[in-house]
Amino acid sequence: MAAHQLKTLYDDLLRSFNSRPSDLKRCGTLLAQLKLGLIETGLLLPQGELNLEDLVVARDILEIGAFWSIRTQDVPSFDRYFSQLQTFYTDYSSVLPPSKREYPIRGLNLIRLLTQNRIADFHTTLESLPLPADEIADNPFISHPVNLERWLMEGSYSKVWNAREEAPSEEYKFFVDSLMGTIRNEIASCEETAYESLPLKDAATLLFFTNQSQLLTFAQQRGWQVNLTAGTLTFARKGEEQMEIPKQKLIAASLAYARELEQIV
Amino acid sequence: MADVEMKPADSKPKDDSKKDEKKTEPESKPSPPSPVAEIKSNIALIERAVATLEPRFTHRVLRTLAGLRKRTDATVLRTAIEEVYTKDTPEKKTLLSWIPEVSAADQAMEVDTAATPAKPTTVSEPVPEGEIYLRLLILHYLETSPATYAKALALAQETIEKMQALNRRSMDPIAAKIWFAVERAFELGGELADARPLFLAAQRTASLRHDDETQASLINRLLRNYLHYNLYDQADKLVSKTTFPTSAGNPQFARYHYYLGRIKAVQLNYSEAHTNLQQAIRRAPQPKTAPGFYQAVHKIFIVVELLMGEIPERSLFRHPVLEKALVAYFDIVKAVRTGSLSQFQTTLSKHSAQFEADKTYTLIVRLRQNVIKTGIRRLSLSYSRISLRDICLKLHLDSEEDAEYIVGKAIRDGVIEGRIVHEKGWMECATQKDGYGPEVSDVFARRIGFCLELHNESVKAMRYPLNAHRKELAAAEGAREREKELAKEIQSTDLDDDLGGDL
Repeated sequence: MAAHQLKTLYDDLLRSFNSRPSDLKRCGTLLAQLKLGLIETGLLLPQGELNLEDLVVARDILEIGAFWSIRTQDVPSFDRYFSQLQTFYTDYSSVLPPSKREYPIRGLNLIRLLTQNRIADFHTTLESLPLPADEIADNPFISHPVNLERWLMEGSYSKVWNAREEAPSEEYKFFVDSLMGTIRNEIASCEETAYESLPLKDAATLLFFTNQSQLLTFAQQRGWQVNLTAGTLTFARKGEEQMEIPKQKLIAASLAYARELEQIV
Repeated sequence: MADVEMKPADSKPKDDSKKDEKKTEPESKPSPPSPVAEIKSNIALIERAVATLEPRFTHRVLRTLAGLRKRTDATVLRTAIEEVYTKDTPEKKTLLSWIPEVSAADQAMEVDTAATPAKPTTVSEPVPEGEIYLRLLILHYLETSPATYAKALALAQETIEKMQALNRRSMDPIAAKIWFAVERAFELGGELADARPLFLAAQRTASLRHDDETQASLINRLLRNYLHYNLYDQADKLVSKTTFPTSAGNPQFARYHYYLGRIKAVQLNYSEAHTNLQQAIRRAPQPKTAPGFYQAVHKIFIVVELLMGEIPERSLFRHPVLEKALVAYFDIVKAVRTGSLSQFQTTLSKHSAQFEADKTYTLIVRLRQNVIKTGIRRLSLSYSRISLRDICLKLHLDSEEDAEYIVGKAIRDGVIEGRIVHEKGWMECATQKDGYGPEVSDVFARRIGFCLELHNESVKAMRYPLNAHRKELAAAEGAREREKELAKEIQSTDLDDDLGGDL
């Protein structure tokens, strides 16, 4: 594919992406063609010295691709675009002018890790951000996922719930729903151990349900006993389970000690 | 060897360490031999090591490196080279060309004195190992002043080429040290990232050649390089793809464990980080000889311990080497112990610059939840029933609603025993469990396991001199011989007696 062809395709992509609402279908086909073009020109995974402008264009295309994947709700595709972008963000950071889309995309990646409950990866990624720690708080795109993680770990679920409206960019909202699912399950498992029973109304507020029927289906899924007349939820008590003595383990340990002692004596 | 190895991660403690060492040195070594003589005897030792294929001598030489490094300067190096190389070989010329010029008068005098003693002793040319050793000394010398950093980098590159071209197994221990100096040269030149491909290639070669010492040194170089740029992902992959040679020395192991501990801590794998850091502390040299490393490990160790919900021992903060360096961490520990969020926040902002420099800031931020947990646990111990509102006030939480969720989570995570009575808005605390259960035996088993391993390790670490058993064998043989003779004699006397009896 010739360079000028790539250029027209790129212009086309920009147009369809920036138009409101964006033409997602058209973007998808254009992105596929553009990626082929990038591979042919060796820009998809750049190596060595390349024309700076070409690199910027390649980065723009990939960034649009990343946003497009979120808008079409295709998380694996976002993952691919993000790892391709890594080269541009880390290896070429000294030569390329900084991109204004970099932090939104990095933030999206952090949220994605959070929704997939990959906390260890979340922290590793956070650690490798090229930002000093005090600037994290000032960067809205990064501070949003960071705060979410902190509240989740603390158990301040209501703060997470309230923060769903404060997403710094459109794309973040896509993850909010799956995040809410995660939170709800977390809260439910807390309630199971922390309460004996709960009034239906309060349970609904605690779980952020707006009407009772949602709550009832949820309660059914988790196997809670609903008492409609009294209006209460009773959680299945995990009775005072008898502590089992781990015989196997103790025997194995004693045998191991005997063997070791024999070696010493 | 210890403090060369234990270069601390940050520069501030390094300065402390240098001061410390300088203070202690004159006491420990009342009359050190002149550096030139020491270099010469070291070269002789290296030659002996090469000739007898016994790396022990080389190790002995490298152990003196730390002390020697501080006493070398341009004139010392020049004289040493002049004396070691009697003939004008190309090696000598290149070596000399790396040493910065000293003032002419000084130099002339030195050369004069050097020429006289060199004549009578007709030493043969030193082995390549000796040359590399001299290069190592020059490298360390060049790294002492900023003016020669560029030169150090050039020498480092040339030395690596030379080392790889020579490819001698007897050079491995020195090579491991050379890599260390090379890394330092790159770092001082501000091009640490550029050294990575070089190290990676060298690491591959070293592992193919089973060159354990170089490999150990290089893995540590690479890990440090990655962590310097916060590339925890890559560092973790490197660790999973390589096996750290078990025969590596203690200092290398100590660092390896330190880096592992840092990686694991970032990945929230606190218990493993804890074991690794503990190993690092145990394997590290005496706190007095390498205070920088000791402090750096303890900083992260304390944070990890806090993250695990344990409170570090107070005596740790009174340790003479650690006391000053750990003040900020002591404050954090106090805040976590009392479970006061506001105190934690003020301490965090007060010392944030230091935590940032120590690269522990993000870890400490994670402590916030531990502060809350400790607070709740303290409340659950002192009250049998407490309203959510009071919890909220005592722990400075934002709202009662939050308090309810947080307490619920604490109960689920097993931090406290109890339950929430929602209708009345309070938390009821259950009585504490008794101290007997499987967890007691688990802890006990862990300790026994540690003791047994310690015993086994020390048995493994015992060294026996080669061929020493021969002597014993000979002695045993002699004893047997004597016994035989004795038996024969007895027999003959018996015979005589018999004969006598008969007669």
